[in-house]
Amino acid sequence: MTSVLVANRGEIALRIIRACHDLGMRAVAVYSDVDRDALHVRAADAAYPIGRAAPKESYLNAARLIEVAKRAGCDAVHPGYGFLAENADFAQAVAAADLVFIGPPATVQRLLGEKTAARRVASEAGVPLAEGTEPLRDVAAARAAAKRMGYPVLLKPAAGGGGKGMRAVADESEFAAAWRGATGEAMTAFGAPALYVERLVPHARHIEMQILGDARGEVVWLGERDCSIQRRHQKLVEESPAPTVDDELRGRLGVAAVKVAKAVRYTNAGTVEFLVDGDGRFYFLEVNTRLQVEHPVTEMVTGLDLVTLQLRIAGGEPLPFAQGDIVRRGAAIECRVTAEDSFGGFLPAGGIVALVREPAGPGVRVDSALFAGMTVPSEYDPLLAKVIAHGRDRAEAVARMRRALDEMRVAGVPTALPFLRYAMGEPDFLAGQYDTDYVPTHWPPAERGDLPDGAAAAGALAAVLAVRSRTERRAATPTDTAWARAAREDGLR
Amino acid sequence: MRYEVTLDERLVRVELTPDGRFTIDDRAVAAEVREIVRGWLWSVTLDGESHEVTLLGHDPMRVDVNGTEVRVAVVDERAARARGGAPRAGSGRVEIRAPMPGLLKAIHVKEGDAVAKDAPLATLEAMKMENELRAPAAGRVTKIGASAGTKVEGGSVLVVIASE
Repeated sequence: MTSVLVANRGEIALRIIRACHDLGMRAVAVYSDVDRDALHVRAADAAYPIGRAAPKESYLNAARLIEVAKRAGCDAVHPGYGFLAENADFAQAVAAADLVFIGPPATVQRLLGEKTAARRVASEAGVPLAEGTEPLRDVAAARAAAKRMGYPVLLKPAAGGGGKGMRAVADESEFAAAWRGATGEAMTAFGAPALYVERLVPHARHIEMQILGDARGEVVWLGERDCSIQRRHQKLVEESPAPTVDDELRGRLGVAAVKVAKAVRYTNAGTVEFLVDGDGRFYFLEVNTRLQVEHPVTEMVTGLDLVTLQLRIAGGEPLPFAQGDIVRRGAAIECRVTAEDSFGGFLPAGGIVALVREPAGPGVRVDSALFAGMTVPSEYDPLLAKVIAHGRDRAEAVARMRRALDEMRVAGVPTALPFLRYAMGEPDFLAGQYDTDYVPTHWPPAERGDLPDGAAAAGALAAVLAVRSRTERRAATPTDTAWARAAREDGLR
Repeated sequence: MRYEVTLDERLVRVELTPDGRFTIDDRAVAAEVREIVRGWLWSVTLDGESHEVTLLGHDPMRVDVNGTEVRVAVVDERAARARGGAPRAGSGRVEIRAPMPGLLKAIHVKEGDAVAKDAPLATLEAMKMENELRAPAAGRVTKIGASAGTKVEGGSVLVVIASE
């Protein structure tokens, strides 16, 4: 394996390109019309256009990606996360084109990709599950099932994960509307409307276990991540170790994850997700058959490079270590800086990034595709950058994260930074006392703390200068013609 | 020139004197202001303290001061006088705009409807998600700016509310 097509965009494309370069491999990027200027295009050794901005016409166009891989002389394809990463047909087509697919093969993806099938695998492997149904298309049958297991319940798309199309339903009166919304979103996101109903485990923590498997059938677990801090069932903060998981529970989760993986002869990197309730009982949720967004958290704690390991395993190498060789040191946290308005219900917003400063310093890592002047496209996921902090213990990791977020600036688009900064100083988070209800129960805060006097004065001064400088620049550039005025007045009528 | 600057809830009066000095709340201050990135980033030393201010966005105006994001309104004294004194908060015309381009899936209100704060007004599909746009204040719907099922540009007005 010498040359890899990176079938993705944004920070993860850059992450994979870096891994290729670390191993002395060539990295080939692809880009849609709106990504021509993106960082991953510039970092790669070669780059090919693949179509229009809409994902279906570019990053989801399997045939086009394989054609580019062949034309560019690649011998492997890394799908990243999202897009085609968990599409078994794509994995199969890549292999059929004599290219190495960097991830679990199509057969494994099929066994685990359909969520209710994955639940059967886990159940047969002796791993506990939350009560749930088979995929359903009929609202009446689903409502009856929900009534049988008792509210609250979750509606989940059978075809996919990542929180898309997932709805919590508190009682029967909300059921019809939630079903409509969830089937619609499942259809948009996965092209399949079928949902299944699962009993909602209240105050659950979302804990996932990273695994790696090789072609010999060896599977190891690397450690857990707590991903409970979410909005719209999508993660904002992840950390390892999970504050509520002790060595004993960690070991049991690891063994359960390896059992599920071995049952399907899992190879390459993957994540087994569990819900853990207040009493330390855990329930299998699903397997993500790909690299996770939050993989750096595990990398910081274990000192391993998961993406180069993915490349080596896909190239046929055995795992270079055994379960007993894996050492976890300290604690790591990841914050996702998304282009979402913290004060506006986390609504995503596009725009032009006017200025960027990324944090640095001891224990801080930034995986980002941000640059000043970039237009944040509205067609894709709003993730801009991931800030990861590592420390000897959780307190040091949190302190470094707080410092890193204070250093970071992104001007021009609203971001999740205000929320992330708040969480890093919020008592419940500091105490490790949080669950999947954290965001709605803690944000926005009842009171926004006042700036200290000096900071308020400085802010006011600069704000005045900002307004004046903008007004002067406008006055200096005569763009207002009689025609423009007439057109504007027309528009007002 | 005198200005009234509101940072979140806090009011600060700023004066720029013709000889290039500043007063804050009528007190002369020893401030040095450096514009580091034109129009976006300022370093301010004030009574020995070092502050950094980044303009984050214009509409609504947001700035970052030393790692804290605040909403800002700047009114010069002539405008303040013309408006008749204290700024009017929370009443009048409120426009709900599309925060990004997308497909307007549904409008949940019609002209004349009374809406409560946080009532759902419209559903916009963008960035692979359905986003619920909610009323920022209670009031009455005076205008619907787009119809369900159409693509809308970022910034286009979807609903106008006369707030109470």
